[in-house]
Amino acid sequence: MAQIKADPNKVSWEESEFPILCETCLGDNPYLRMTKQSQAKECKVCTRPFTVFRWCPGVGMRFKKTEICQTCSKVKNVCQTCLLDLEYGLPVQVRDTALGLEDNAPRSDVNKEFFAQNMDAHFQNNEDGLGSGGFGKAESAGREMLKKLQRTDPYYKRNRQHICSFFVKGNCTRGAECPYRHEMPQEGELKHQNIKDRYYGTNDPVARKILSGPRAGGAGRQMTAPEDKTVTSLFITGVSEAVTEPDLKGFFYVFGEIKSIVVVHKSKCAFVNFTTRAGAELAFEKSGGGVNLQGTPMRVSWARSRPVGARSEQKGEAAPSPVAVMDALQAGPPPPPGSASSFTYPSQDPTYQGSTSKHR
Amino acid sequence: MPKIKSSRTKRAPEGFDEIEPTLREFQQKMKDGKLINLSTFLSGLLIACIQSENDPHEGKRKIEALWPIFRLHHQRSRYVYELFYKRKAISKELYEYLLKQGYADGNLIAKWKKAGYEKVCCLRCIQPKDTNFGTTCVCRVPRDKLEEGKVVECIHCGCRGCSSGSGASSTGSAAGSKEGSSKTTN
Repeated sequence: MAQIKADPNKVSWEESEFPILCETCLGDNPYLRMTKQSQAKECKVCTRPFTVFRWCPGVGMRFKKTEICQTCSKVKNVCQTCLLDLEYGLPVQVRDTALGLEDNAPRSDVNKEFFAQNMDAHFQNNEDGLGSGGFGKAESAGREMLKKLQRTDPYYKRNRQHICSFFVKGNCTRGAECPYRHEMPQEGELKHQNIKDRYYGTNDPVARKILSGPRAGGAGRQMTAPEDKTVTSLFITGVSEAVTEPDLKGFFYVFGEIKSIVVVHKSKCAFVNFTTRAGAELAFEKSGGGVNLQGTPMRVSWARSRPVGARSEQKGEAAPSPVAVMDALQAGPPPPPGSASSFTYPSQDPTYQGSTSKHR
Repeated sequence: MPKIKSSRTKRAPEGFDEIEPTLREFQQKMKDGKLINLSTFLSGLLIACIQSENDPHEGKRKIEALWPIFRLHHQRSRYVYELFYKRKAISKELYEYLLKQGYADGNLIAKWKKAGYEKVCCLRCIQPKDTNFGTTCVCRVPRDKLEEGKVVECIHCGCRGCSSGSGASSTGSAAGSKEGSSKTTN
């Protein structure tokens, strides 16, 4: 779509055919209806008018729309709605610190618009964005780290409806038919997010949390004995495919009787559940935070009593929770497509107007 | 559509005098909300205290304020439709007079005669040109296909389900019981 402009400084408006989006924003249904409106809104970053695409990412979700223009998203290689990296699904700040990328884009007024305009012309001419940068040595280590920080499955909770502000005040007259969530808002620091901060990668609370969290730095995990005395389990990460349950058992049985061992290779972790707290404490002490089996170094920390990640269905219980969570994770694949009662969409129903059932 | 009588206007066909009080009530309801004395009804039709043009718009959304108008329009047309087609209580001449004078919506009644559209709430909800993807309004979806047990009030007229199989009553389909409670708040 190269445009020849008589005046190189003339501001031309963006036209695009399809948005640049991540899979989570698109939702779980492979069938989507999307509306397209040219120049419907101004980009939240560069304030130029752009084509807005709007769609419903699933049952009970709010309608999402593109928030930034294609040029801005190509500059940073992010999704147009959620502003997370397209490859890893991580905030810009996390990716930039991992890969050592610097951002020297101007941010004020005319400078910003001029820069955006130039990038626009650049992309029109040679269609390459951030993704095709050179791969240096520092970058591959960074990429490893980013791979570890990634989510394993899509986080659809971000597509939910916004919280009903009337409900928060206590008087939502719409009641049952109110499309907004009737929940109380929670969480302190993460509530104050700014789209510009998130885009440029400065001062992003989510990025801070990820970078100081369990898998990145390492200082975040439970290295001291937890106050809850009923936790008798150790949480092991870095468990590769080669390490199996008998291996772990063989290492840990000397410290105390083992109630059970649960290994989840998919998320590279394992839980070693002792029958006694003393056994767990001894094991933790002797392992010194790490254990090396089958050639793979693994990290040892205490298991936490609250649910692990977005996958678990249980609320926080004390000792049984790691085991119960692992049971839920190991429930196996979803039932085969032949089952008649698990329809998320009418198009999955084979008796529905002659369309064939969807095979997952 | 003049409903004003002068010495030059033709007289209404016979039978008009019996139904005139009900029609007057509808007209009055459309204008402002007043409490209806139930004993004045011979038809047994219950009109809840619905306020329309002159009522305050506090506590309502912008589109919600228009819902009573659609509801009354539906009810009025329904009354005439039932008189003629179901109960056969008025003559064809009177029926056509009513349609012409604007006491009932002929286009809406035409829909009610079609299979599957017997309880259509308003003409906007079946107009595919009004929607993004060329579909009908959500209130046309039958209740059992809707899942989640979620209540829907369509944005056009506040209808909660007007498909023929969804079990909604004809007068209750457009804008549900919330309208009845507006009496207590005022």
